[in-house]
Amino acid sequence: MARYDELRAAADAAWQPVAEPRRPLFMVSINTSSISSGARATLDALRALGETHGFDVMQTGDTGLAFAEPVVRVVRPDGPAVLYGNVTAGKAEAFAALAARGIAKDHAIAIVDGPATDGVPAIGDLDWFKIQTRWIMRNCGEIDPDSIDHYIARDGYKTFVDCAQMDRDELISVVTGSTLRGHSGSFFSTGTKWKFLKDATAEPKFLVCNADEGDPGAWVNRVLMESDPHLILEGMLIAAYASGATYGWIYIRDEYPLAVERMTRAIEQCRERGILGEDALGTGVRYECEVVRGAGAYVCGDETGLISSINDSRGMPRIKPPFPAQQGVLEKPTNVNNVETYAAAATLLRIGADTYSTVGTEANRGTKLFTVSGATARTGCVEVPFGTTVNELLAAVGGIRNGRPFKALQQGGPLSGLLPGSVAGPLPLEPEPFRPLGAGMGGGGLVFLDDTSCVIDLNVMTAWFLEDESCGRCTTCRGANQRMLEIWKRTARGEAYERDLALLESLAQSMQYSNCFHGSLSPTIMRNTIAHFRDEYDAHAIEHRCPTKVCPELIVFRVVEQAPAVEQAADICPTDAIVREDGQWQVDDAKCIRCRACKDVAPDAISIQDRFAGEAPSPAVRRAAVAPLQVPIMERPL
Amino acid sequence: MLENEATLEIQHLIRDFKPGDGDLLAALHRIQHHYGYIPKIAMRVVARQLRLSEARVYGAVTFYSEFRLIPPPRTLIGWCSGPACRINGGDNVRKILEAELGIAMGENTDGDRLGLHLAQCNGTCEHAPQVWVNGDVVGPLTSAETVRLVRDLKDRA
Repeated sequence: MARYDELRAAADAAWQPVAEPRRPLFMVSINTSSISSGARATLDALRALGETHGFDVMQTGDTGLAFAEPVVRVVRPDGPAVLYGNVTAGKAEAFAALAARGIAKDHAIAIVDGPATDGVPAIGDLDWFKIQTRWIMRNCGEIDPDSIDHYIARDGYKTFVDCAQMDRDELISVVTGSTLRGHSGSFFSTGTKWKFLKDATAEPKFLVCNADEGDPGAWVNRVLMESDPHLILEGMLIAAYASGATYGWIYIRDEYPLAVERMTRAIEQCRERGILGEDALGTGVRYECEVVRGAGAYVCGDETGLISSINDSRGMPRIKPPFPAQQGVLEKPTNVNNVETYAAAATLLRIGADTYSTVGTEANRGTKLFTVSGATARTGCVEVPFGTTVNELLAAVGGIRNGRPFKALQQGGPLSGLLPGSVAGPLPLEPEPFRPLGAGMGGGGLVFLDDTSCVIDLNVMTAWFLEDESCGRCTTCRGANQRMLEIWKRTARGEAYERDLALLESLAQSMQYSNCFHGSLSPTIMRNTIAHFRDEYDAHAIEHRCPTKVCPELIVFRVVEQAPAVEQAADICPTDAIVREDGQWQVDDAKCIRCRACKDVAPDAISIQDRFAGEAPSPAVRRAAVAPLQVPIMERPL
Repeated sequence: MLENEATLEIQHLIRDFKPGDGDLLAALHRIQHHYGYIPKIAMRVVARQLRLSEARVYGAVTFYSEFRLIPPPRTLIGWCSGPACRINGGDNVRKILEAELGIAMGENTDGDRLGLHLAQCNGTCEHAPQVWVNGDVVGPLTSAETVRLVRDLKDRA
């Protein structure tokens, strides 16, 4: 403990100016979301102002409030700490003048450390925060992610030092008993995985942190890496002690450059302070690690694909067994967990299994991070207890925007499913309730759809993504995804074949024989769509009509009013499809690409109509609706 | 392989990477960072340095969507293909980019002035639908705003 106490004393001194600032301290969230809203310019502007106005400025991570970025927290020696949103550089000067002395009401989101003041609510009273239990995200937005001192001053690496004094089997049994399972969407017992590695006989043993968060619409791991990188390293150190691993790789997707930067810096800081290396903090644990930057391949999120990628190869998943715990990186025993799982393990061990089990459900204790996007009023990242229902979460983020209906939930990326709002809404967020519905909960991404979205169009996108990202090794996955894409494309054109539903099911069945989840779970969204959105499928397939007027080949654009705005519409049209003939504006359908730019500038004069309105549906296709859902008979034997 | 100035430069660039150590991606990233893309000759140098076959290096380079085999354009427009963008009109954005520039995803305009890149969701979905102009997020974009943006980029390219 002596080495830890030394580090802690230095860290406490560095943390003091943040915990108890002598003059106002502006904490600017710098993360991928806030940067995309201009937070770097805000940071620069505030730094320049701070010199003349007498306040300090520091960066912090991600509070999860993506919708309100750039977010700034202001801590004052003589008043409450206040969380502010939408502090763009242009507003920084006016904002700073108010926020340094009192409350800048136009930007105020909440009082962080006290009761409601001057009409600004206390943070715990806001729906967004009320629903949350921020254990894993405890440091997110609270510390400078580039400062190891901040992390240590808030009990960082103490859990590791404590764990390293425990018996290894006992430590693993605490993790197993906590019900902690892989937060990536696999939900395999973390303690059991660690035990597999501990029991492996070959040496050396390795750890991999899966930070290849490829599910579109999910960014929980990015929030953690950008806000609290040391928490992930501490989780890996604990796993290293428990399992006997001596080296680790943190495989981060290429789309997360800031996470790469912050994790790399965190590793360097750990080396400097003797937390990584031969004798971690005097515990006798020998462990080193490095960051590997991915290069854009969804299938590397599969653990064997990821291992292939580290092993100087294309990231192609392979058949299991051998499991990674037998043969992983460089053919040595390897344990793969994702970012949030390592972070959750460190969190669980810090607060203790008893406290950890006070929230969540019987089968899934503790908390889980979710990112919310799509048609919701607010977009961002929250941490809620397992078992919180989808509807509760949706209400806390302000519901569907503009009061529209909750049509569907696309949860957990393209392999986990698409459920109608009426079915998904009451579901508790934990993996089990999703399974009987032929779906999964996934790793944390929740994309909400309102009634303006077309589920057939979403299937076209999903099928394209799955086909594009298939590694190509298994014919079942590569070939079936190509066929599925063709089928969805023709459905979206209103040209579905009579046998398509049976063909889709046949493809789905053969895909079960793929090596990895990419293949076997590819049919999930497709099956959910057929089961729950049959009306919308039939509208496309039988009536050649897209009820939401999204699918481009089932709609036409018409000039319905010879208004002056049509001239602007003609100007904006990227293909010059709006032409004037005999003094009358009209849309040249052959040129029109259905991009809606004209509708944006002339909403009343341009109308979007069904392309095949009034035409009788073709009898051949009509039979598709009544054709039984069976595996088709091969017309030509192979 | 004949040594020349180009191969020696690449050799020097990746001198600290070792065979059998999981260094392939890192070596390729360093080359792309330096040149903006992966020149053909670089794949040979990497193969020799890491004692892999050239086919294996080429296979890896073409497996990953972020490695480029052609020089980057002066202005790279990344189009986000994610679901939040899609349900907010992202496909309209793609159609406009392709129609205005007369190129498909992954291609450059004449003289490498502008290029389109099919990008994956990075979770900045509050800006959906969005594009990244040389890495900077622009969004949310209506269809009309997309047309104006791309015309402006064309004028300045």
